Amino acid sequence: MTDLETKLKAEAKRLLDEHLVDVFIGFRKENAPLHPQPAFFTQSDQLDDFVYNNLCQNNLAKFLTRYPRETRIGMIVRGCENRSVNHLIVERQHPRENIVLIGVPCTGIYDWRKITQRCGEEISSVEITSEKILVTTPKSKFEFEPKELLHVSCARCSQPNPINADLVIGDPVEAKDPARAKRQVETFSGMASKARYEWFTHEAERCIRCYACREACPMCYCAECFVDHGAPRWTESMVSKAGMQTWHIIRAFHQTGRCVDCGACERACPMDIRMTYLTEKLNTDMEIEYQFVCGMDDKTQPPFAAFTMDDKTRFVA
Amino acid sequence: MNYILTRNDIPKVLEKWSEAYQVIAPQKYSNFSAFLPYEGKAEQLCLEYPHNTRYPPKALFLPQSEELLKYTKDGQASEPGLDTKPKLIFGMHACDTRAMTLLDTVFDAKDYQDPFWKARREATAIITLGCDEPCKTCFCTTVEGSPFNRQGADIIMTNIGEAFHLEALTPKGEKLCKGLPLATKAKDRKVAKLQEQATISMPKAFETEGLKATLDANFDNNYWEEVQRSCLGCGVCTFLCPTCFCFDIADEAARSKRYRNWDTCMFSVYSKEASGHNPRPSRKERTRQRLMHKYSYWVDQIGKIGCTGCGRCVRYCPVGLDIRAMLREAGTLPVEVTHA
Amino acid sequence: MSAQEPNIVLFQCQWCLYAKTDQDWVENALPENMHLVKTSCTGRINPLFVLNAIQGGADGVMISGCKPEVCHFKEGNLGARRQLTAFQSLLNHIGYDRSRIRFVWMDLQDTGRIQKELAVFEKDLTEMGMSGVLVTRKPGFEGGMHD
Repeated sequence: MTDLETKLKAEAKRLLDEHLVDVFIGFRKENAPLHPQPAFFTQSDQLDDFVYNNLCQNNLAKFLTRYPRETRIGMIVRGCENRSVNHLIVERQHPRENIVLIGVPCTGIYDWRKITQRCGEEISSVEITSEKILVTTPKSKFEFEPKELLHVSCARCSQPNPINADLVIGDPVEAKDPARAKRQVETFSGMASKARYEWFTHEAERCIRCYACREACPMCYCAECFVDHGAPRWTESMVSKAGMQTWHIIRAFHQTGRCVDCGACERACPMDIRMTYLTEKLNTDMEIEYQFVCGMDDKTQPPFAAFTMDDKTRFVA
Repeated sequence: MNYILTRNDIPKVLEKWSEAYQVIAPQKYSNFSAFLPYEGKAEQLCLEYPHNTRYPPKALFLPQSEELLKYTKDGQASEPGLDTKPKLIFGMHACDTRAMTLLDTVFDAKDYQDPFWKARREATAIITLGCDEPCKTCFCTTVEGSPFNRQGADIIMTNIGEAFHLEALTPKGEKLCKGLPLATKAKDRKVAKLQEQATISMPKAFETEGLKATLDANFDNNYWEEVQRSCLGCGVCTFLCPTCFCFDIADEAARSKRYRNWDTCMFSVYSKEASGHNPRPSRKERTRQRLMHKYSYWVDQIGKIGCTGCGRCVRYCPVGLDIRAMLREAGTLPVEVTHA
Repeated sequence: MSAQEPNIVLFQCQWCLYAKTDQDWVENALPENMHLVKTSCTGRINPLFVLNAIQGGADGVMISGCKPEVCHFKEGNLGARRQLTAFQSLLNHIGYDRSRIRFVWMDLQDTGRIQKELAVFEKDLTEMGMSGVLVTRKPGFEGGMHD
């Protein structure tokens, strides 16, 4: 058990033993390789399987909206998860007084797909130290440096530290160069428009409409998703070009001003489809036009809700 | 009879087979592999990976989206023709091949035959590639299968290093093997040993003896509340599963066509009724349904477990839920003995 | 679209045309290649309306409503301006040129403006040519895994 895990576990035990929370959300040891599971501890004697490492790839804020508002929830949050929680509070999904945030400055999530791409899909074990990651398969051993495995959202993350957690465990992490955060968007924008459309189509056409991206996203909590509407029929449920394109465009668009670029959507996808290049563009637009970064506090309304008459000088050609 | 197909001969033989069939084989696709039409590029073939494709080959018989009929505004309807094009699937694993035979009990049963499914099945020959090195995430032997299970195969292929050993199992298989060099008895013995070793190398993932009875007795157990907590309710496990077959029929007015699309019991709208009532209102009922269907209701229907242990749900669940662990735990639940 | 005429869909709020001549024109005398979808307010315009129009073959989409100070519903257009501009930017990002979506925010004195704007738009689109992207709901263009 690492030092971080020991401290987190102790804090979880304290919160549960002292009845300060009804449920503590963290992770537990994986059954399937590369996937520690989100875990929901209600008593401290359940913490034997507790783990916390860079393979913990889900955004735990997703589970906030599953509980009634009276439930007191304790949750481990990295930078992006803290921002998701903040924005869910802005959207009134859970009162702040019923949330206890244990913040962890984040060194990044390792993308399981980068591991399977290099090592094959049969993984025996993974050992993580601060300097390297050792992956063992039945036939071979592989060694990675952390920066080789970071998920693309983490590689450009500019908010790795918790924003307003009740307790922070671990030393602050230096944010990535903010200029780097823009680079993927700039590279993509630099392509000719036809090339961009082809790239988008190529990604979207692998889609199998499993909606893992939607379910992994903390901000997708609508009781009825637009894809399930019959009237009006916004899009087909088929795996046709029209259906897939609409799905990707609109899911990304419904995140405008709400997305913290955690990348959980991409990591959940079984077909390795890229999506963050869409939300990144929208996040950049919100930042440039409205100086808005989602989730930096739990009070600021997102741009689509914060319009005022001052807007009359905007959008003037 | 048994034959040998050397690696060097593969492009030539596939080309010959392509004269009579459309050959479909697992090939490189994005970062992984998929069943794609073979277009003469032998270097694209994925016969070595100790794993399977992600997207299941049931799509070759039950496409994810299939046109059932088209109609005009004045009420004329027409059906698309059945797909009777001869196909040869080269290199489908035993778990997936066996899964097709399980799906035959749904789509080609005594009382009802699905014409779309049946046409494709009859037109398709299957060369099964057995797994000489089964994955840790696979568990076919736990659910009445094996890495070299022969159910549903026209030929079963074994990797013997420099070549593949082919055992023709049906007249279709024999016909395909015509012209290939025969295998020696020594090779046959070597293959039999290899197959046996691969099969016994797989540990038992969970106990199936008494599993159904335990599951049935614990329908209302709080265990289901616990097991669903991290489940996202997405469709990854069901869409990647080779034995899941549920579908939804949708009239797409914008195209004037009626389509059949894969559906999943994991979505909340799956069981939602027109009145708005949903008999499976929460993830608890839906997760329970998935496990019970595969390991209890299938047994009620055809006497077999509805899972072939391919391991896709284990490898690709976004929250790392492992069906083997869920069933191991379920197996420890008490089976109450009620006294009359 | 024929070689000369781009398909244009006009989403327009019902309040922004003050002059009766303008109202009659959009309702009865729009050229054949232009299609009007009248909404109660631009705030009602769901980005999905725009996307569906594009998928059905619109070479250009014009969104017309009231200037910020004169919205009949006070703020409807304010939200619309933010949302639809962001949507235009996203569509441009994936290859649907931003100049194919044009916004016209009208004032009460703007008699005769809508005809001029549409004429200019039509001319610009003719020079640009057919869009060719995202046209996936038009019969014959569907494409995809199973078409």
